[in-house]
Amino acid sequence: MISRVADGCFWLGRYLERAESTARLLATTRALALDGELSPERAWSSVLGVAGEQAPFIERHGQAAQADGELVQRTMTWGEPDGTSIARSIQAARENARSVREVLSGDVWESVNELYLWLASEAAEREWAESRDAFYRRVRDGVQLSLGLMRSTMLHDEPLDFAWMGLLLERVGQTSRILDVHHHAFSNMPVEHQAHETGVWSSLLYAVSAYEGYVRAHAGFVEADKVARFLVLDPRFPRSVRYSVSAALDRLRSLRPRTQPDLPGHDAEARLTALDAWVRSLEVLAPGDVHDVLTRVVDETSDACEAISRELLGYGEEAQTPPAASAEPVADTPSQSQSQSQSSSPNRRPPEPSS
Amino acid sequence: MSLGLLEGYTPPAGTYDELVCGAAGAAEPSANGAAEPSGAGDSPADAPADAPAGVRPRPEHKRVVDLIAGCGGPEIERAHARASEALRRQGVTFGVYADARGTEKIFPFCPVPRLVSAADFAHLERGLEQRLRGLSAFLDDVYGEQRILDSGVVPRELVLGAKQFMPQLRGIRPAGGVRIHIAGIDLVRDGDGCFRVLEDNLRTPSGVSYVLVNRALTKRTLPALYEEARIRRVDHYPAKLAETLRSVSPVAPEDTTAVVLTPGQYNSAYFEHGFLALRMGLELAHPGDLFVDGDIAYVRTTRGPRRVHVIYRRIDDDFLDPEAFNPDSLLGVRGLARAYAAGNVALANALGNGVADDKAIYAFVPEIIRYYLGEEVILPQVDTYVCLRDADRKYVLENLASLVVKAVDEAGGYGMLLGPQSTAAERDDFRRRIEAEPRKYVAQPLVELSTCPTWDAATQRLAPRRVDLRPYVLTGREGPWVLPGGLTRVALVEGSYVVNSSQGGGSKDTWVER
Repeated sequence: MISRVADGCFWLGRYLERAESTARLLATTRALALDGELSPERAWSSVLGVAGEQAPFIERHGQAAQADGELVQRTMTWGEPDGTSIARSIQAARENARSVREVLSGDVWESVNELYLWLASEAAEREWAESRDAFYRRVRDGVQLSLGLMRSTMLHDEPLDFAWMGLLLERVGQTSRILDVHHHAFSNMPVEHQAHETGVWSSLLYAVSAYEGYVRAHAGFVEADKVARFLVLDPRFPRSVRYSVSAALDRLRSLRPRTQPDLPGHDAEARLTALDAWVRSLEVLAPGDVHDVLTRVVDETSDACEAISRELLGYGEEAQTPPAASAEPVADTPSQSQSQSQSSSPNRRPPEPSS
Repeated sequence: MSLGLLEGYTPPAGTYDELVCGAAGAAEPSANGAAEPSGAGDSPADAPADAPAGVRPRPEHKRVVDLIAGCGGPEIERAHARASEALRRQGVTFGVYADARGTEKIFPFCPVPRLVSAADFAHLERGLEQRLRGLSAFLDDVYGEQRILDSGVVPRELVLGAKQFMPQLRGIRPAGGVRIHIAGIDLVRDGDGCFRVLEDNLRTPSGVSYVLVNRALTKRTLPALYEEARIRRVDHYPAKLAETLRSVSPVAPEDTTAVVLTPGQYNSAYFEHGFLALRMGLELAHPGDLFVDGDIAYVRTTRGPRRVHVIYRRIDDDFLDPEAFNPDSLLGVRGLARAYAAGNVALANALGNGVADDKAIYAFVPEIIRYYLGEEVILPQVDTYVCLRDADRKYVLENLASLVVKAVDEAGGYGMLLGPQSTAAERDDFRRRIEAEPRKYVAQPLVELSTCPTWDAATQRLAPRRVDLRPYVLTGREGPWVLPGGLTRVALVEGSYVVNSSQGGGSKDTWVER
């Protein structure tokens, strides 16, 4: 398929995953903050930390404003001009979908467009004001509907492979960052009561839709080390680092079969293969290693994304292609600005937890 | 029997209404010379006894108009609202150049259809096929031997001086031998009901996606009405278009890679580009996705370069290849004109077609058809004064207040003077422009566009609004084919003659009756 179109599919998957993850994290953090086991600042700053929005937020509103759950939710839902938010992720997903409309099924395009139109409507604002949980639920349902329609109404070939590879690589980053930030915050928490610890780790599990899977796998024992291990290494859990890296590699290999080594994507495959092998080799995950392991995961995922962009998505050809800038009204420049904003995102490092 | 929805509907005097005629107008002639169904239902005795002295359904449309009139106002309003909502949800939008960048608007849809009788359509079909054959022969000739210029049928300077004439293309025959693969011919209906060609669009005519979208909306919002009306289908257009494109490929049709080429997301017709690519199962390429190497065109794919044989391009000639045409354009595909000249890639439509839809050349189309085909023109057109001719110019300058003046190289309703609605200052402005560049202007009498009952949401009733009709003609190796339907554009503002989507127009589903 056309490289630019593959790029649009890849980022459609990434932005949908990012939007859903943000909505889920906001909903679970809200529940966590209601319990009062963590200080409001600790609970809400971690949401900003996961999205890499902490520094701009503090700059704009001050350190203490992190305790203002409403302000954090508003920022992470409706967004600052350059920031990450649900609304901006859905808008970007819809922009990408619109630019690759011809390879999506009508159902997929309409579901993404409807979610976008709803978020921009007064009805969405009303729902946000009156029924916050229902609002987050609706965002997640909308994303899941689009993803389900992709799998059930589109050909399982290149466009879907690229979208899903983008989604899975985004997921690697989301799970890693959510775990990293919370692991740090929770581990340094003064433990006063066993119930508190169970509560906050359960919240982390909910934040990545892992609770049910985890308690089934561990007979209900919610413990810090086991939770971290589960989210990084469990091959059965579809949001674990190991599962997501491995599944992304599968997608890459179906796009670039090993029987055809001359096809573009050699570096991308080499990088993702190495990351997959390394994650598989991790037998244990000592509490002191969690941050280092996750940092390496995020860095190497970012490198793999860069290689995918360069080898498969057309970014490497820009030197040969004249820039699409012209004074004509028909001139088309979105791929340029889009590529800049998009290619900057995979390079985002996990935020350094403040101590 | 009551007139139902048409109760109280009154078209303006002197115009032809598509669906109704005056109750006493049984003698109103059919102006097309086609085999109109005459007699049946045409006598005053058939007029509803309790009808006011207003209107009655046109005899040729009586069955369907009765069905429409039988719909309730709330039903039409519901269809209207649901259709608008569906257009927004599906993102069926167009951009407006003068508007802020990237603004998306829906093209308003009126659920009340425009009808074309089977006899009228047969007449249009013959006329359009003839016109396409004549214009194709003209293009072959002006980019070949130029016999018609030697004969003096069309003034040499008019052709060679046309902005869209490309002397560098002389002697080049496009792959597949076809030049006007896709044509959109704008028709209007004058006060006598006679269809006249208003404009030929032989470069990158747009709007066909709305024909298909409007039909889908009709089926969804007024299914019972549509089912009973017995209308010819239009949804095979994409398949016909794909077949047309493959038929002109430099390689075997089954080995052909065809793509749709769009200027990009911010083009006003971007929705259509993606829509047609999707419906044909072709890739939608942007200029940056294509490149030319050794006079062969390629598309950049995730599996490396792939050769392209046919490009359905929705970019104007000027912006297609900076090497050949406009060096300032960074939009095009460098070297594409060379690949085209070498016969390695077919472009649909071919390069240089603009000379044949030039508004001044238009005045000569009847003679062009006579010259190449030895036939009298089937579809009349609008009388046109070519300002380059001294006598014509004199007349135009003396009668600016009653004429419509058009710049020959503008489209979309821009660069026009509507004499009867103009101010003295506007007329003076055009007078100066015409005297400075007579080649650039033509003038026509104001054509009374026909009206069609149109849903007016503000008053919740049907109101007469002006319409035109753009049928689409595909030409592959096998010759022309006319889509049994077309885009009916409607001026939604009361009294307005401007149907362009960019200037407040809407559209209707066009029903060609079986």
